[in-house]
Amino acid sequence: MGGKVTCTLGEVKQRADFIIYWGGNPAECHPRHFTKYTIMQKSKFLPRGRKDRTMVLVDIRETKSVKAADIFLQVRPGRDFELITILRAMIKDQHVADEQLAETGLARDVLEDLVARMKSAKFGCMFFGMGLSMTRGKHMNSAALLTLAAEMNAFTKFVAMPMRGHGNVTGADVIMRWQTGYPFGITFNRGYPRYNPGEFSTVDVLVRGDCDAAFIIGADPGATMPQPAIDHLKRIPTIVLDPHVTHTSRLARVHITTAPQGIAAPGTAYRMDELPLPLKPALKSPYPTDEEVVRRINAAIADKPFWLPEGSQPQMLTAQV
Amino acid sequence: MNIAAATESPPVTFRLRRPPTVPLEAETLTPDVIERLSNAEIRSLIVYHGKRQLPLSEFFDVEGERSDRLELHGDLNKVRWIGRAMSHGSITVHGRVGMHLGAYMRGGEIEVHGDAGDWVGAEMKHGFIRVRGNAGGQVGAAYRGSLAGMKNGLIIIDGTAGLEVGMRMRRGTIVIGGRAKDFVGLQMKGGTIVLLEGAEIRAGAWMNRGTIISLQPIQLMPTFAFAAAYNPMFMHILSRHLQPHGIALPCAASEGSFQLFSGDLAVPGKGELFVWEGQSPAI
Repeated sequence: MGGKVTCTLGEVKQRADFIIYWGGNPAECHPRHFTKYTIMQKSKFLPRGRKDRTMVLVDIRETKSVKAADIFLQVRPGRDFELITILRAMIKDQHVADEQLAETGLARDVLEDLVARMKSAKFGCMFFGMGLSMTRGKHMNSAALLTLAAEMNAFTKFVAMPMRGHGNVTGADVIMRWQTGYPFGITFNRGYPRYNPGEFSTVDVLVRGDCDAAFIIGADPGATMPQPAIDHLKRIPTIVLDPHVTHTSRLARVHITTAPQGIAAPGTAYRMDELPLPLKPALKSPYPTDEEVVRRINAAIADKPFWLPEGSQPQMLTAQV
Repeated sequence: MNIAAATESPPVTFRLRRPPTVPLEAETLTPDVIERLSNAEIRSLIVYHGKRQLPLSEFFDVEGERSDRLELHGDLNKVRWIGRAMSHGSITVHGRVGMHLGAYMRGGEIEVHGDAGDWVGAEMKHGFIRVRGNAGGQVGAAYRGSLAGMKNGLIIIDGTAGLEVGMRMRRGTIVIGGRAKDFVGLQMKGGTIVLLEGAEIRAGAWMNRGTIISLQPIQLMPTFAFAAAYNPMFMHILSRHLQPHGIALPCAASEGSFQLFSGDLAVPGKGELFVWEGQSPAI
């Protein structure tokens, strides 16, 4: 396991004749996704547009996206990982017993039809949403779909992509990745980046109470994180940079109002396919941008003495095995 | 092997003086480092309190010197990497202990009278870890991005365990006395996991080789196929191997039999998952 088989939305628009949405509701959450990138567009390779494409929706209940789908598969809640694992077995012609198939809420002929369509597609693309990545199994559910996409490349071109929400979450991942080699869950306490989600990821650090200060930019953990994490944010000095007063700013020691990105502050935002897009501000804001605030904090920290004693350097943990 | 009989010299005792406010990374707390050092040198060993380097004496009262037996007392749930890559000697912890206990361990013994955090014995090569209380997730697992977890040795957790026990393990044995959470033996490549009280869902998911033995009925992945019901010979040997630690596996045909499931078909793997059917064994 490892690596991600993916592409840009431009390729999806031009070539993808088989599209699966898994655990997401793009009709309501990404309303322009269908028309701009996936099913509605005509292209050189798919001249009839919607008629040349097949769209499959996998979800636990009927959402507004069902109307747009050719095939709707209603999986039993909490059985996504099992279903994807069954599909991994079926594409390799492994026999899975009927009663075990039935546990997922889907019949054999439906899944055999799906596998046949997947294999005969020219370019398949799977988009997965929070219904997959935030339910029981979490990262392993996403890993299952990414692995299925990777394994489908034994038969035909297949890619997978998460349906990212909120402003520029992809950007945070991309920047962390090219700067440190890891997308999130990183510690710098030994002077170099170390990666271990579960140990260093924000929610786990806060729930365990492992940090003694928090600096939050453009996020609202006070509204989304579990109660122990919120309680810890209240206990420690929390600093929030946000254009608005959020739940987090109400429990923070310091709130610095900043200019909203893309409206009054320039910058780069990353689309869900990791394509950078420049943002041009349309308005002027009396508030400083996030970048300006962080630069000033950085300059103030640079004036302080180095935190380790004279002549000593942080030691790498890996150097001692 | 009895910890007390390992060597004659008195152990080095560490008593937690003040609890760390952020995680304390103390990978120097291993017999390999301590056995060469005098009491003063042990006190001045560097530990990382967050990003700050501090001497060990800031947090611990240290008694004794030059011994490969370590005794730790106190609530060490924020102290990480104890016994990292140790090759011999012993560590006894009285109290809770933090993450990465005995990670990369190559030999020796660790005993915890209390609970342990995540990543107990992660990627260990040899040795013995016993946790009398509960453990967190990723016991004997592979670190993120690494291909193989524990490569040999024995881990016994008397209590419950968290997610992904034995993830990508290659050899060795893990025994979980209480109930384990999801994804036991995820992507396992070898070795043995014994579940005395069963596990939650997705045990053996994506396993390649290796053996999972559950003495309680567990929910199987749909990609496991029933193979046989029998009493395998190796269960006697495994039972005898675990007997000194007070763990008995049922192996007599008069008591019942094991149902063998093979999988995971998705890989497709040759893993074995044994589920005991019969009288509950006396533990």
